Amino acid sequence: MPNDVSPERIAALAAAARVPISEKGPERIARAVTPTVARYAAENIAIPLETEPSSFLVVQHKDAGR
Amino acid sequence: MSDIAEMNLKDLAAAIRRRKVSSLEVTKALMARIDKWQPTLNAFARVEAEDALKSAKAADRALAAGKAKGPLHGVPLAHKDMYYSKGKLAECGSKIRKGWIAPTTATAVERLEAAGSFRLGAVNMVEFAYGPTGHNVHTGNVCNPWSPDSITGGSSSGSGSAVGARLIPAALGSDTGGSIRMPAHFCGVSGFKPTNGRVSRANCMPLSFTLDTVGPLARTAEDCAIILSIIAGPDPLDPTTALAPKWDAKAVKRPAKGLSIGIPKSFYVDDLEPDVAKAMDDAKAAFRKLGVKIVEVDLPDQVLVSAAAMIVLAVEAATYHAPWLRERPDDYGKQVRNRLQNGLAYSAVEYLEALRWRAHALQAHLAAIGKCDAVLAPVSRAVAPTIAETDVGGAGNAEAIIQGVTRFMRPINYLGLPALVVPAGFGQRGLPIGLQLIGRPFNDETVAALGIAFQSATDHHTKVPKLA
Repeated sequence: MPNDVSPERIAALAAAARVPISEKGPERIARAVTPTVARYAAENIAIPLETEPSSFLVVQHKDAGR
Repeated sequence: MSDIAEMNLKDLAAAIRRRKVSSLEVTKALMARIDKWQPTLNAFARVEAEDALKSAKAADRALAAGKAKGPLHGVPLAHKDMYYSKGKLAECGSKIRKGWIAPTTATAVERLEAAGSFRLGAVNMVEFAYGPTGHNVHTGNVCNPWSPDSITGGSSSGSGSAVGARLIPAALGSDTGGSIRMPAHFCGVSGFKPTNGRVSRANCMPLSFTLDTVGPLARTAEDCAIILSIIAGPDPLDPTTALAPKWDAKAVKRPAKGLSIGIPKSFYVDDLEPDVAKAMDDAKAAFRKLGVKIVEVDLPDQVLVSAAAMIVLAVEAATYHAPWLRERPDDYGKQVRNRLQNGLAYSAVEYLEALRWRAHALQAHLAAIGKCDAVLAPVSRAVAPTIAETDVGGAGNAEAIIQGVTRFMRPINYLGLPALVVPAGFGQRGLPIGLQLIGRPFNDETVAALGIAFQSATDHHTKVPKLA
């Protein structure tokens, strides 16, 4: 299991969000999210610096007007 | 006249308008059918018989006085129990919102009612729209009208089941990760997830502000287009619709001849059950006959796009639910609570990277499809599995089965594309198969035109399940 989805990190994130989870919760969550986190991290996507979430709307509307 | 309950939305609205049948007769016919099917399907959360009959009588009186409200005058509809109607219950398939009365009305519902439709009741759904199968520990599982031991798909489980069984002509669902398209596929109906930003989500229960969309399930692609023509367009209460183009009814009627469809070379065509693969081949042949150009397309890595979608959905859902996760965690069903808690695992940087990448992922998708007007893909690799084998508290490999049936969904939500599901055949145990026509941003009308053309050449959408 990669470090970035370790049960310890999940327990810390849940505590920071002030959401109570059971004793076995961090272990279960780590198992559930590992494939997603690992897949996304493995790609190491280089996103241009100027991109922000709303850049999506620009692409979406540009194609609509093609 | 054919059985009233089996008429599609377009024909039913026309028959009422021409006074070949009254709204009261339609309402009574649907209520009789609901009485018959509800014990088997559990599609309805509630039927508001008294109010519906009053509305039907009022619609008939108005029509007799020459005062038709709009294209859906006198048509009873029932929507997923997450669409608010002022003064009515909207329990969202949950214990937490049990008894909750909506203080406002959803814009989509307001527009449908301004067009003359009225509320027959509300249909069941997965708890807080966060589950792909139709299981619900609070309200009971909704069952598939083609085989009641099979799942409906979720989260618009009641919408799929009720439209499939002909209990209502159409229903609103919502699609954040496939929740319109999966029930449409599993229940043998048409379902339309519009372009993100095309239909207002105001005063509906939210799940993910980036990915949520509002759309119809109905008997035909044309019925879906009728609903979208009414509900699409800018709404000051939902700023994401500010730039939404006006619905172009003329574009829906464009001929399919000369349009082009891309067929993915991989991912969507990998590991399909033979019946689903055959439905794809038959659909390609039908489109070719209609004069549609079929080309192969090499889409970017869809597993990666799915992963990004998953991060965005999980974090936003956990954010909406954080107050209840803190204060009422035991009031969630275990599976939904687990899914919500998964969203706690991602860091802010991971979430925002997934959001920032969205523009580039869409750009890459559009580059890959070139000039294609749509991409044709299965909704799922298989027909509906059984309720028992997808019960995560029961069967050992339930999670794997669920992953298998839902893997073609999330990329479309992440990319914000329109997608129409059309029935395209039948597979094992006589269960329906749907295919999705995935369009370009804000090109919902072209997708509708392709769906309408396909249904003019095929009859899968006309098949009706029988109650055993």
